[in-house]
Amino acid sequence: MIRTELKRGTAELAILSVLEQQPLHGYEISRRIALDSGGALSFTLAALYPLLYRMENRGWLRGEWETSDNGRRRRCYNLLPRGRKMLAPLRAEWADLFRAMRRIAKVNHA
Amino acid sequence: MPDWLAYVNDRLGHLAISQAESSQVREELAAHLEDNYLSLRAQGISESDAVRLTRDQVSSWQELRRDILAAKSEAFMQNRVSQLWIPGLVTLFSAYAVLALMQLAGLRAMVSHPGEPRGIVLYLPWMLSLPLIGAIGAYLSRRAQASGWRVYFAASLPALALGVFFLLIFPLAFVLDPHVPFRIKGTALAAMMVNWVILPAFALCLGVALQSLRKTPEARS
Repeated sequence: MIRTELKRGTAELAILSVLEQQPLHGYEISRRIALDSGGALSFTLAALYPLLYRMENRGWLRGEWETSDNGRRRRCYNLLPRGRKMLAPLRAEWADLFRAMRRIAKVNHA
Repeated sequence: MPDWLAYVNDRLGHLAISQAESSQVREELAAHLEDNYLSLRAQGISESDAVRLTRDQVSSWQELRRDILAAKSEAFMQNRVSQLWIPGLVTLFSAYAVLALMQLAGLRAMVSHPGEPRGIVLYLPWMLSLPLIGAIGAYLSRRAQASGWRVYFAASLPALALGVFFLLIFPLAFVLDPHVPFRIKGTALAAMMVNWVILPAFALCLGVALQSLRKTPEARS
């Protein structure tokens, strides 16, 4: 249970953080997360979309269809004010968790 | 390039959500697979390897279908509360609060056959207030993005609740008053259904219809 919640919490913070910079469609979200985390975090399609739909239902994101110049339709996700509000408490939670783990497991920054 | 939409349709199977929503999910997943495939090909990976690696994005389609449905049903539960139950409870309490106030104020009902089971009881001022209450329920329900039967259900909950209550207690009449003939009990039930369910439901639904005539901000602009 903790493992699942931890994974979901990581994923939510990662998605909100990349969307804070600009609206992106699903594939771009996963690519940007992989890129920005230096490959440490990666999302498969199966992990990403159920989470995006859940976050959309909570009013954190809104997906809108867009057609690119080459005629491809993509659903682009925008960060909504409610999602932006979630960023600060999520970041604080993670900072607390890292501090706690550093004390318990004697983990230091590389 | 493989037809990724056909692939998704084949693997994902039936999604128990609306047709429009299901099509959007399929299109979105297919677009993701297509982007992934094109990206791999752009990196110089062979077609067969790109297809294989793209397919590896989903290890279990059954699990993905279950996860998508769970995410969508979370929204359904949230919507059910805001679209049905909150507006429904507002109309329910408003309707009976208004009725209680009218009775306290001494307003009498019109009765067509006093003392007889077939008597039609009509609280005219209450009936006149019901379209307004129904319109409020419809407004609240539509504000939560509801449409169709959900709006009518929320607005007519006061009448529906009484209808269910009458039907549930009707069999009790056979236990409590076994000597009263079925014909009289049946007539009394029919009269109660007309007085307290059908006519109020009609008045509440009239409010829904009137509220829908009100122009939305989008329509005005």
